Amino acid sequence: MESKPVLIVDDEKNIRLTLSQSLEPLGLELDTAVNGEEALAKLKEKNFGLILLDLRMPGMDGMEVLRQVSRLRPDIRIIIITAHGTVDSAVEAMKLGAVDFIQKPFSPTEIRDLVSRVIDREKLDEQKADDYHSSIELAKRCIGDRNFDAATEYVRKAISLDPSYPEAFNLLGALLEIRGSNLEALKHYRAAISLDPTYEPARRNLHRATSMEPKGTITLE
Amino acid sequence: MKVLIVGGGKLVYFLTRALISKGYSVTIINRDAEECKWMSRRLKATVVYGDGSDPQILEEAGSHSTDVMLAVTPNDQDNLVICQLANLRFHIPRTLAVVNDPENEEVFRKLDITAISTVGILSSLIEQKAGFDQIINLIPLSEGKINVTEVELTKDSPVAGKALVDIAMPENSLIASILRDGRPIVPRGATLLLPGDRLIAITLPENYGRVLRMLTGDVS
Amino acid sequence: MLSNHRLHIIIVGCGRLGSYLANKLSHDGHSVVVIDNDESAFNALSSEYSGFRVEGDVTEFAVLKEVKPDKADVVIATTREDNVNLMVAQIARRIFRVPRVMARVFDPKREEIYRDLGVETISPTSIAGDEFLKALKKQPIIEKAEP
Repeated sequence: MESKPVLIVDDEKNIRLTLSQSLEPLGLELDTAVNGEEALAKLKEKNFGLILLDLRMPGMDGMEVLRQVSRLRPDIRIIIITAHGTVDSAVEAMKLGAVDFIQKPFSPTEIRDLVSRVIDREKLDEQKADDYHSSIELAKRCIGDRNFDAATEYVRKAISLDPSYPEAFNLLGALLEIRGSNLEALKHYRAAISLDPTYEPARRNLHRATSMEPKGTITLE
Repeated sequence: MKVLIVGGGKLVYFLTRALISKGYSVTIINRDAEECKWMSRRLKATVVYGDGSDPQILEEAGSHSTDVMLAVTPNDQDNLVICQLANLRFHIPRTLAVVNDPENEEVFRKLDITAISTVGILSSLIEQKAGFDQIINLIPLSEGKINVTEVELTKDSPVAGKALVDIAMPENSLIASILRDGRPIVPRGATLLLPGDRLIAITLPENYGRVLRMLTGDVS
Repeated sequence: MLSNHRLHIIIVGCGRLGSYLANKLSHDGHSVVVIDNDESAFNALSSEYSGFRVEGDVTEFAVLKEVKPDKADVVIATTREDNVNLMVAQIARRIFRVPRVMARVFDPKREEIYRDLGVETISPTSIAGDEFLKALKKQPIIEKAEP
């Protein structure tokens, strides 16, 4: 995957520019698209390994692009770019295999680290995954493959290795919500918050899941 | 004792009146000329017209001989600078900033400024009334670092019928005293908690919610 | 102007000074985030500006956290209010541990204590005054002009 090109999809020129500049040191082949339509067209031309996708775009919005890409090329990994206050459709995104998010504004280091992590994730050896972080990464890889049961196993393993991180509990909650076990999901969001009361993704998930809104979204980032 | 207040409005007016009646000497710094005139007519206090975050005005207002300074302007940033100048430049022994954004309370503390958030106090009062009927009162002590709460156990309380030693109280919290039939009991490990007991719980802000939920079973 | 190393810089306030710095630093290849509580202020950014813009009041801690000061190499506070600049700069330095923090301070009398707190302050008043003094020292005093 390391050698496959990366596609940046964002309607804002400054974001496209900033992403290109930030990722330059990684030596990846980069391409850009200004909207969903162009992105889908480019999919036919090149064999991308990773897409950086802004959720909030005029015209065909990010979620629609994600749906299409997920349908046409489920093998492509996706990093979703959000803005503060985005009604994030993170559970929908996760169902479609997207599990990595980054919120604007971000530093060059942040996006570089995230892209590196997603790329390295492909190379992880399951046999050697005996620590918390590797287990979480493998869980995310499984989500990318839409293998939610295996993902759940890896998250549980991660928790058993180190139960002090809120991320694992939040992730497990999200997986349970996808499965339909909403009450259990709530418990895990609460567990995440009791570990770290400032852990935003779990707070948002709990707030959403316990309010009366019909259309909720799970937050992962 | 000399008190210096930076700010305006009804709060400052009534606060000054109250302090003067207790025998304190009060100086007010206010940036509105009309308000300054109004206050100097009605209060036996020195009123200085100017920007309380201007070192020169603070000097004119007698900061060098001030014992207590209160920054109660509507802007957190002004209150911060006022208190910092008060501390670092004029060495006023006690300073207090009011903050509007409750999150700034902790921020100011980290910058070595004592701060209180009126929003924080009000919202915690509301929370208690709404969520926990068995709570009688809440006394924040030690600049907000310790809470003392009285909780009445009902028969539905998760801890009713249990011995104190069997209850896993979170770290940095404890049951200091139990009032049973109007008589205080010093709790020991073997003490059984009964419905109708009024527990005096000591907690930190960060485990307050957890302890209350443990004792009352209320998950709202 | 700065080293070749690409920095992540947060600029608070998009007025004349803020937008000037944002445009220049972005042009120089740095990663820039500008925050202002008035969206129309961003009109001052050039079309080549390749950084982020965030609308919000930075004296609200939640808003400040949104721009992730913990990831910044530099924070420059350029609003029109000294106290806002000093508050943001301090929080950036002492709480988020930003390596370099600069604040514009109009009133030079406030500068002193902030230097001790790790904030580099730039007072346009002092600078302007110094420029006058420098200019004065260069030329000898001329005779009074003839009536």
